Amino acid sequence: MAARTEHDERTDTSPPPPAPRRRHPVAAAVGVFGELLITAGLVLGLFVAYSLWWTNVLADREAGKQGDTVRSRWAEGPGALDTKDGIGFLHVPAMDNGEVLVKKGTDPENLNNGIAGYYTDPVKSALPWDDKGNFTLAAHRDGHGAKFHNIHKLKNGDAVVFETKDTWYVYKVYKTLPETSKFNVEVIQPVPEESGVKKPGRYITLTTCTPVYTSKYRYIVWGELERTEKVDKDRTKPAELR
Amino acid sequence: MYGWIWRHLPGNAWVRGLISLVLILAVVYVLFQYVFPWAEPLLPFGDVTVDGQGAGEPGAGR
Repeated sequence: MAARTEHDERTDTSPPPPAPRRRHPVAAAVGVFGELLITAGLVLGLFVAYSLWWTNVLADREAGKQGDTVRSRWAEGPGALDTKDGIGFLHVPAMDNGEVLVKKGTDPENLNNGIAGYYTDPVKSALPWDDKGNFTLAAHRDGHGAKFHNIHKLKNGDAVVFETKDTWYVYKVYKTLPETSKFNVEVIQPVPEESGVKKPGRYITLTTCTPVYTSKYRYIVWGELERTEKVDKDRTKPAELR
Repeated sequence: MYGWIWRHLPGNAWVRGLISLVLILAVVYVLFQYVFPWAEPLLPFGDVTVDGQGAGEPGAGR
C-alpha cells in the first residue's frame, strides 16, 4: 500500500504525466483502424438485435393495437363491414403463434406491423367468402412479428383457420413447397396447379421467405377449404383450435 | 479514437464514465430509431412475397 501511495503522489523522479505519448504515425493509424473495425462489429451486432428482437417488439405492439380495433368494431354489432382495418384473423395451431391479423396488401409498411397481408399484386387474391379462388397471404418469417416463423412445422392435414366477423373458415393443408424462386408467381394463381390441383376451388396459400433469416427463396403452403362454421354468440372456437 | 474522446471528456474517471454511458446510449438510440429503419429495406432479408421485386415497385410485373 505504501508503495502505491508513493506512486500516486508522483514524486519528482517520475516523468510528468501531461506530456502526451508520441506514437509512431503508422501505429496510430493502425490503432484507429482497429477501433473502427471493433465499432463496425458492434454496430452489426446491434443490427442483428434490432432485426430479430426489436422489430418484433414494435410489430407485436402495433398488431395487438390494430387487432383490438378490429375486435371492438366487430363487437359493436351489425354495420357495414369495414375491411380497411383488417378482414379477420388467421389461426394456425401448428405454427403456435396465436392469431394473426390479416389486412389488404403485401407492402412492407403493412407487413412490418406484425400482420399478414393478402396479395393484390401480381395476382389478386380471392377472399375466403368468394365462391372460388385462392386466398393468398404473405407474412414475415423473421423480425417484424415473425408471424410465419414456424411455417416449416405445417404438415399435410394440419388446420389453418380464418376467422371473420361471422364465420370460421377451416382449411386443411394438402401440400407444402419448402423452396421455390421468388419469381414463381404460379404458386398464387387462382388455381395453383403447382400444388397438384386442376379444378377451381376454395384454396388458401401462405407464402414467406426461406431459409430463416434470409430472403433467398420462398416457402409455400397450400390448403383447401374443408368447411365453414357460423360464429356463435360466444365466438366458440372450432374444434381445431381447442 | 476512443482514447481521444476519453481524454477530452471533463471531470474525473467517474464523471467521464457516466458521460460515456450517456453517449453510448445516445448512439444506440439513434441507430435503432433512425439508422436501422433506414438501412433495413436496402438489405435483402425481409422480402416475403413472390412478386420477385423489391419494395415500392408496384405494378412492375415479374
